Amino acid sequence: MEAFILTGLVLGSIYAISALGLVLTYTSSRVLNFAHGAIAYAAAVFYYWLNHEQGWSIPGAAFVTIFVMCPLLGLFLWGVLFRHLTHAPPEVRFVSTVGLWVALPALVKILFPFTKGEVYDARGILEEPTHFFDVIGVNVTDAQAAVLVAAAVIAILLTVVIRMTPIGLAMRASVDSPRTARISGINTSAITAGSWMVGTSLAGFAGVLLTPILGLSEIQFTFLLVASLAAAVVGRLTSLPLTFAGAMIIGLLQGVSLDVLPDEGVLAKGFRPSLPFIVMLVALLAYQGLRREKFEVDLRAGPAEQEAPAPPRRTGWRAAIGPLIVALALVSVPLWLDDFWIGVVSQGIALAVLFLTFTLVTGEGGMLSLCQATLAGVGAFGAALLASNAGWPVGLAVLAGACVAVPVGLLVAVLSLRLGDIYLALATFAFALLIENLVFAREDFSNFDAGVTLPRPVFLGIDFNDRTNFYLLLVAVFCVVALLIVTLRRGTSGLVFASMRSSETAAATTGIGIVRTKLLLFGASAFCAGLGGALLAMTIGRATPNSFNVLIGIVWLAIVVTWGVRSVVGALLAGIIFAVVPQQLSLILVLVLLFTAFGILSNLVVTRRIRHPLGAIVAAVVVIVAVIGTSQLINVEVPDSWVDVPTLLFGLGAVFLASEPRGALFNMINRIRLRGLQHETRRIEAASLEESAA
Amino acid sequence: MTDALLQATDIVVRFGGVVALDGVSLEVSPSSIVGLVGPNGAGKTTLFGVLSGLLRPGSGTVNLAGVDVTRSSPQRRSRLGLSRTFQRLELFGELTVRDHLVVAHRVSRGRDREFFRDLIGLGGRPSPGEDEAVNAILQLLGLEDLADRPVALLPLGIGRLVEVGRALAGEPRVMLLDEPTSGLGSHETDQLAETLRTVHMQRDVAIVLVEHDVELVLALADAVTVLDFGKVIAQGSPAQIRGDRGVQAAYLGTASEADT
Repeated sequence: MEAFILTGLVLGSIYAISALGLVLTYTSSRVLNFAHGAIAYAAAVFYYWLNHEQGWSIPGAAFVTIFVMCPLLGLFLWGVLFRHLTHAPPEVRFVSTVGLWVALPALVKILFPFTKGEVYDARGILEEPTHFFDVIGVNVTDAQAAVLVAAAVIAILLTVVIRMTPIGLAMRASVDSPRTARISGINTSAITAGSWMVGTSLAGFAGVLLTPILGLSEIQFTFLLVASLAAAVVGRLTSLPLTFAGAMIIGLLQGVSLDVLPDEGVLAKGFRPSLPFIVMLVALLAYQGLRREKFEVDLRAGPAEQEAPAPPRRTGWRAAIGPLIVALALVSVPLWLDDFWIGVVSQGIALAVLFLTFTLVTGEGGMLSLCQATLAGVGAFGAALLASNAGWPVGLAVLAGACVAVPVGLLVAVLSLRLGDIYLALATFAFALLIENLVFAREDFSNFDAGVTLPRPVFLGIDFNDRTNFYLLLVAVFCVVALLIVTLRRGTSGLVFASMRSSETAAATTGIGIVRTKLLLFGASAFCAGLGGALLAMTIGRATPNSFNVLIGIVWLAIVVTWGVRSVVGALLAGIIFAVVPQQLSLILVLVLLFTAFGILSNLVVTRRIRHPLGAIVAAVVVIVAVIGTSQLINVEVPDSWVDVPTLLFGLGAVFLASEPRGALFNMINRIRLRGLQHETRRIEAASLEESAA
Repeated sequence: MTDALLQATDIVVRFGGVVALDGVSLEVSPSSIVGLVGPNGAGKTTLFGVLSGLLRPGSGTVNLAGVDVTRSSPQRRSRLGLSRTFQRLELFGELTVRDHLVVAHRVSRGRDREFFRDLIGLGGRPSPGEDEAVNAILQLLGLEDLADRPVALLPLGIGRLVEVGRALAGEPRVMLLDEPTSGLGSHETDQLAETLRTVHMQRDVAIVLVEHDVELVLALADAVTVLDFGKVIAQGSPAQIRGDRGVQAAYLGTASEADT
């Protein structure tokens, strides 16, 4: 027993080191870094590379990783990303770091190809004990002792610095009122940059310590992230001592569970890794009960940064042109693609239905949910089990699966929405991992990763096992759901959603029920997730746990954000591209080319240079290059090692497009239409000035 | 009891160790204009937070139209006929000027609850009387020309008018205006004062006005409350306030010192 307690304490110390870094960066910049685990992963891979591939000594590799590579990475990320996030709207803060969480591991896998295989032979600081200490009958190695001491020292040091020195004061001032802080002579940039460097180093330290225990797999570092987040939640994201205590409790629980729980069965496989999320959920619920102030808001806080306004909507028959073109293009696909590609695009359309869940929850609701993939899984397994085991008609089973996802989604939302958006993100994350480990991992669901089969329907005399028929069915479903979302947005609800996103305070005083509106959106988004998940399972032929895991969910979110999280066409593009690009990697080159061309063209239009003869010539050349380039690039042989490149690009897309919810292409088009508006506004302003002068 | 439309009694609010409001009472009769003045940090905005339901007081009660709303949400108070504007603009950045009024009008009719009607495309049409009501407010505030512009591109003075319009569109019985002239030039301030007078004359609405511009308040208000360090130091008609020595010392005092 004592030995397991020791194991638990060491594990807890590693969690504590990581969690302290997370809380430090949150305190100094109000950005909860979902990429914290990804940073630890990157550091661990770098350390392994130095030690294993380059032959460096363990201390040398660890020192360079923790004290050189990590601070530089932290400084770089702060410079290009975190610096700009502090005063961005909350959903932008979330989505950007989630994008980084997607992009960083993809980049690591491209740079260090050895991570493709399973790596379990990492050697760590914790190995090769030279001394033992006898503490009340337990052998403690010097390395274990060092980790315990290091965690305690870091916790005490950070607490003292933040609570008792001018640095802590400057940190709080920098985040509360950066302008006043700067005027008072505080170098706010140095303070926040420094804390990001320290925070990144702590993540890296934890990563290096954890590698020999967990091996080098991305999913394991998701567990480090969730353990750190859980500890940080115990500390309410602000208190370093409570965070330390939370990390120790999680470590201890996991250590003791090795002794107490049986080695086999659901409890060992599902429950033990789930301990951190359970701690997080319990802490969230406990704080929910403790919280009495229901409407605690910053009285003077306005929206920190206004996003660019939407251009006026087209009305009447013009509004129908765009959707009709898209629908016709979709329907015509079977005419010019062969069976294989129809199958691939079918998968894309099923995904597009699923992606509409993000359109609702993140696009319309401004909320970050990390359990949408899990809700899709609930829909998929629900439909598959009803169809295969209970013998329901397939169509009915799919609808029932989608409906089952709704109460499941609402449950998470009800429990966490009142605590605020940040806790919704955390609770959905914990919930997703919990379902994945405790439910989807059960044999009656996973069936040794083979999953549950979900056949395609035959009704009205139409056999949907035929690829073209099935494809058209999916297109029809997508069009119906997308149309429903568009009409919803055009009604009063659309106005209500937009009001709520801009200013919850003003929306509440105008009489809009914030929690009720968010629950409605969450319920509707759960339905889309469940429906899309069931359709996706039907396209593949079976519902498997791996199709709906948390990491796939965040990649989905990233790609939807890249192509427009508030637009149904964005979801459609995201779905098709997500399905098609891995089958034809040269499409990456085509996309980059078209994107660049589109960027240059829209820039020419916005700046009105296209009216100039030279501008017109440039535009013509760009179009010609784009057309010829596309036909050439599509046939380029791309090495298989590029398989992670799309993920990297979509992650980066989410990082930098989070503040532009209409996505990349739409933003370019919008800029053109807004330009005209700004022109007119300035004219009106000038006129009113003249009037008041007269 | 009294026939006050909005009544706050013995409100106490503490932020940590700081007492922001210390036993403040305020009474607003139907269709009156009540001015609320005081130096920076006197607790004016905090009192507005308590009145509009964004902040729960430590003790004291708030009564709105005969209902105890001390523990009610901002939404419930809005339905009971209370609306407000914000000192730092809280506009809906993606909406046009007209949409601000439309959404407030529809919410006051309970149309934000028609999710499923919206889903099948029945929700976009205006409510009966909506167009007339919205156009009347746009005209009243002189915003007709700008009605279809997104607010994000409009200057501050227009933004303040849009907030007033949004507050009016729910057809409130009492409207809280938090420093509507802050950040405006003198010309714009005069225009706004004129607009407020017209609004008050044409519509049966009581107004509580928080202002830095004391002269503006004394000119507009029927009754004035002066706050200093979270306490009421004077309450009465504009004439009484003008003559009050305590007020001069605490607040207007700086002006008289400058005169000498």
